[in-house]
Amino acid sequence: MSRTRRQRAVVYLGLSAGLVLVVGPFLWTALSSVKPEREIRRDPPTFWPETFTLDNFAELFQRVDIGTAFVNSLLIALVLVATNLLFCSMVGYAFAKLSFRGKNLAFGLVLVQLAIPAIVLMVPQFVLIARLGMVNTFLGIILPAVVAPIGVFMMRQFISDLPDELIDAARVDGAREFRIFFTIIMPLCGPALATLGLITFLSSWNNFLWPAVVAQSESMYTLPVALNILNGNEGTHYNLLVAGSVVVIAPILFLFVFLQRFFIQGIATTGLK
Amino acid sequence: MNTTTPRAAVGGALALVILAAGCGRDAGEAPEQARNVTTGKATGEVTVWAMGEEGKALGAFVKDFESANPGVKVTVTAIGWDVAHDKLTAAIAGSATPDVSMIGSTWSGELAKTGALEPTPGNLVDKSRFFPGAWQTVDVNGTAYGVPWYVETRVLYYRTDQAEKAGVQPPETWEEFTAFAKALKEKGGAKNGFNQSYTLGASWQEVLPLIWQAGGEIVKDGEYTFDTPQAVAALKQYESLFRQKLAPTDTPENAFPQTFIKGEVGGFFSGPWMIGVLDNDGGPGFGDKFDVAPYPKGPVAGTSFVGGADMAVFKKAKNRDAAWKFIQWLSEPKVQAKWYTTVKALPAVQSAWQEPELTADKRLAVFGEQLKDAKTPPPFPTWEQVAKVLEAELEKLARGRQTPEQTAQAIQSQAGTIGTGL
Repeated sequence: MSRTRRQRAVVYLGLSAGLVLVVGPFLWTALSSVKPEREIRRDPPTFWPETFTLDNFAELFQRVDIGTAFVNSLLIALVLVATNLLFCSMVGYAFAKLSFRGKNLAFGLVLVQLAIPAIVLMVPQFVLIARLGMVNTFLGIILPAVVAPIGVFMMRQFISDLPDELIDAARVDGAREFRIFFTIIMPLCGPALATLGLITFLSSWNNFLWPAVVAQSESMYTLPVALNILNGNEGTHYNLLVAGSVVVIAPILFLFVFLQRFFIQGIATTGLK
Repeated sequence: MNTTTPRAAVGGALALVILAAGCGRDAGEAPEQARNVTTGKATGEVTVWAMGEEGKALGAFVKDFESANPGVKVTVTAIGWDVAHDKLTAAIAGSATPDVSMIGSTWSGELAKTGALEPTPGNLVDKSRFFPGAWQTVDVNGTAYGVPWYVETRVLYYRTDQAEKAGVQPPETWEEFTAFAKALKEKGGAKNGFNQSYTLGASWQEVLPLIWQAGGEIVKDGEYTFDTPQAVAALKQYESLFRQKLAPTDTPENAFPQTFIKGEVGGFFSGPWMIGVLDNDGGPGFGDKFDVAPYPKGPVAGTSFVGGADMAVFKKAKNRDAAWKFIQWLSEPKVQAKWYTTVKALPAVQSAWQEPELTADKRLAVFGEQLKDAKTPPPFPTWEQVAKVLEAELEKLARGRQTPEQTAQAIQSQAGTIGTGL
């Protein structure tokens, strides 16, 4: 065997081990979701289901209004993706390319927000939302996340790297700021926007605490909030939870498979430049 | 989900700081006076929050109340246990509370301190109808905030087949208990002896009953007392099982209760939900291989731990009268017995145990008997923090890193620093 073939074999072996580590838990979850509860909790555990059943999903859909929660989650995530794409890039553009008084202070405040854990803001934010009369509304769930500081930071970094000459040329031609933003800047931000969209979608899709606190009726519940009802004080129904996890993960996997090109490019983009 | 718990604690603590600054009551203030509720039929809409499976089941369960009170509509929102505490503290801070909420049995002190809970009307419920331990969970320095809903208590579970093989009966005293665990291990075939929790999660529930059984109190005159001779005696009893190798300290997480089903451990102390778990996981026939018995008596008593959930009404309730009437209905013996058949939650009202639904099961009678001698930790706002301290120190004790005396001192000094929070 030649040296390169051996090297390649080692590389493939390493990659295969990595694949097992990454795919293993997903596969385990998926397979467990079609096992009866007793089999899930058995020791030693079984890998391939001995008894194949769809009862877990049937029970899950019967106990929790998954359909409503799914639509709520999707709706909230999509609205947040749209607002973040628009507003984060607008603010990012202003920080990157415009000069105005207090710019550094304002940008400093954005950075400070990155350092504050969301949990610290929860109660004051809730009081604010409550005074605005937005408890138990979609607006109440969405509003605090309409412009995420991380998105502003990301877009500012990306737009800073675009050449000033483009903007100057447009200005000389008489374009106003909005025109420059929409026709010159936005089309160049493709990879950054794709990343921001994915990050926003994921964080909204997985967000548990805030929607759980704001939503006060089950018709407003998102998926993670609805699934949490199944988590009993004493004893957990693992069969229902794994089935629920599959329902939560499936759209993300789907999204990832279709958008992974952007995702990988995007991770490279979020790195320091 | 695990990652949310410590954060949740921070959020809750923060909420309290804000509330305490804004509208906390002074310690010296006179107890609040409860207002009576009007009698007659309940009308209007009542909003109720309830956790987990109970919350899911309650939605359908309230139909009986609605048909008995035409014109009333009870809207139940099920909320997850993981978020319940944060959701309540946020709702209180934002004045967005429901009329009624289920609350954990150790929460009433903390929530009452915010001033958001309404004292229980004197003309509504008779506290002598409840198990005294259950009523303790809503009693904050002499004023009741809410009504006990259902209870749970810990008893001894053991393998009847192993006990028979070893020729021993369920123990009645601490001395007999040690001999019992020894017999199960050496003659009964339970190679690891007895399962006693020592890690984060539930170990404090193992030790609290022992302190009470030794005649100790964990609170006296508004201060935690974990360094009494009685507490040391309890810790010695707890530790002796590990020292004599009658309880394993190397059980992987979540290995229990499979270890009991496989017969590696012959017994444990736990609550009523374990019957369902064992019947389900043990498979057909396992139900004949285990039984329950009351706690063995210590030097003074055979006191167990009582937990469960209470129902509370908020001061900002839009429909106060109907809210209290709904709670009163939940505490009627027949309704309590029916609730038991719905979600297997044990009645907090003593006379409900005379109903046929509860007298049919012999194992249940053991729980009913134990509930007559069961106590709760004080409903102090800081209790959860103190429980964490207990768990951390108990693990050191179980692993032989410190003596019972050192453990008692360590718990006391930390609990003293934390304070009762009232």
